[in-house]
Amino acid sequence: MIYLDYAATAPLDPNALKAMLPFLRTDSGFANPASAHGPGVQARNAVEAARAQVAALIGAEPNEIVWTSGATESNNLALKGAIEFRGLRSAHIVSARTEHKSVLDSCRHLETVGVRVTLLKPDADGLVSPEQVLEALRPDTTLVSLMWVNNEIGAVQEVQRLAPLLRERGVLFHVDAVQGVGKLPLDLRSTPIDLLSVSAHKLYGPKGIGALYVRRKPRARLAPQMHGGGHEWGMRSGTLPTHQAVGMGVACEVAAARLRVDAERLGGLRELMWQCLQVLPRIHRNGPAESGNTRRAPHVLNVSFEGVEGESLRAALPQLAVSSGSACSSATQEPSYVLRALGRDDELANASLRFSFGRGTTAEHVELAAQMVIRQVQRLRELSPLWTA
Amino acid sequence: MDSVIPSETNPFGYPETIWRLFQETPRAGGFPPDTEGVVTGEAGSHASRAVLRLQLRFDEKGRVADARFRAYGCPSTIAVGAWIAGWCLGKTAFTLSGLQSADLRQTLEISYDRAHCAMVGEDALRAALDRYSGEQKT
Repeated sequence: MIYLDYAATAPLDPNALKAMLPFLRTDSGFANPASAHGPGVQARNAVEAARAQVAALIGAEPNEIVWTSGATESNNLALKGAIEFRGLRSAHIVSARTEHKSVLDSCRHLETVGVRVTLLKPDADGLVSPEQVLEALRPDTTLVSLMWVNNEIGAVQEVQRLAPLLRERGVLFHVDAVQGVGKLPLDLRSTPIDLLSVSAHKLYGPKGIGALYVRRKPRARLAPQMHGGGHEWGMRSGTLPTHQAVGMGVACEVAAARLRVDAERLGGLRELMWQCLQVLPRIHRNGPAESGNTRRAPHVLNVSFEGVEGESLRAALPQLAVSSGSACSSATQEPSYVLRALGRDDELANASLRFSFGRGTTAEHVELAAQMVIRQVQRLRELSPLWTA
Repeated sequence: MDSVIPSETNPFGYPETIWRLFQETPRAGGFPPDTEGVVTGEAGSHASRAVLRLQLRFDEKGRVADARFRAYGCPSTIAVGAWIAGWCLGKTAFTLSGLQSADLRQTLEISYDRAHCAMVGEDALRAALDRYSGEQKT
C-alpha cells in the first residue's frame, strides 16, 4: 500500500522515537516531571528542553508554549479559554466555514452560552482575505480564529498579513497552525499572532501531544479548561507526559532543520501528481488556483473526479492510503463541508481525493499512485450508465 | 521511513461477495445497438447516487441467453448489477419476476442502510421485464 495521507498523520521520526524510549523505561526517566526529587527534576529538564525545541520552530519563547493533548485541545483551550477569561458571554468571534471541526464545534458551543459567531465564506479557492476578516469585525469582536493551512485542500491563508491588522484593532488572533508548522516558515517574533495551535503527530512526532502558543507580550490570557494542579502556568493542569513532550521536541527540531528542503521536494511531488492526473478529462483541483507556491501548502493536493461515485472511488483504491472528500459516516455519505463551502456540488465534493505527501514519499510512489487512480477512474466511468466521454 | 506499508485486500470490510463482484464486475458493459432480443431496464437516479442499467438478451425460447449491466453508485450498487446479470442467465421472465430486493439483500449481505442498492436492482430488473413483456405483446 502506498501511503499518501501525511496530512492525517505522519509516522514517528526515528530520532524522536529514540529520544522518547528512555522515558518509557522503568529504570530511568519515568518520574513525574512535577516531582521535587532527582528523577523528577531530570524529567522536568527533559520537558523544558523539549518546550524550547517547540518554541524555536515557531520563533517563540519557551514559556509561551503550553503542552496539550493535541490540536483539538489546543483549539478548544484557545477559543473557550480566551472568551471565558474575559467573561464576555456576549462576545463576538470571527472564523471561517472551512475551519477544523475542533474550531467550529468550539464556536458552536460558545454560541450556546451567548457568544455570537460569524463564519466567513471563503472564495472558490478556499481563501479568506484579510480585508474580508476586517469587514466582519464589530466593536464587540474579541477573537478571530483562522487556520493557517487548510487540512483538506492545502489553502494557505495570509495570517502573517492579517496578524498586525488585528493587533492594531485590539482583537485577539488565534491560528490553527497544525498543517503549517514544520511545513512553512513562521516567526512569531515578527508576526503578532496571540494564540497558535500545534500538533505533534502531523510533523512526525508522537500522537497524543500538542501545544498551544500563548503570547506573553502582550499577554494573551486564558481561563483553563482543565482544572487541577495548576500545571502549565495554571492554563492546563495534568501530569505532563515526558516521553511525548520529548518526542515532539525532537520532531520540531528535525522539522526546523529540514523545513526548506522538505517544502521544496513535497511541492514538486504535489505538482508531479497533478501533472500525471492530467490524462483524465474533467477533473478539478480543489484549492488555490494560483500556480505559485505561496497560497498552496507543499504537501497537499485535493482533486475531484467527475462521473464517479465517491465511495466506489475510494473502495477501488485499496492499495492507496488517501483521504477522501467524504466524512466518516458511510451511512449518510456526507460530502466534505470544506469542499461544499468552496461551492463544489455534492457529487464533486464526494468524489474527491486528498493526496498528502511526506518524507517517505518518492516520485515513483506518486507516479504509481497516479496510475492506480487513473485506471480506476477510467474503469468506474466506463462502468457508469451516466458517463459520456 | 517509507511510504509503502503492508495492507489488507479488503480494508473497508465489505461482504465478500460484494467485494469480489465490485472488483471483477463480470458482465459489465452493454450490447451493441440493435442486438436482437435485447431489452433494457434502468432504475435509480443520479441524485441518489445509485443508477443501474440492466440489459437482458432473450433467446427464442424465452430464456436469458446473455446479460450486461452498467452501474453508477457505491460498491453495493455495482455488485447488485453484476450479480443480477449473472443470476439471470438461463432463466425465463417468469422466474426472474420472482426476485425481490429482500433476496438480494440476503444473498449479498447488504446492510439495512444500503437497502436502496438492492431496491435499485429489483427495480431495474422489473423495468427490463416490463419492456420484454411489452414487446411480447406487440
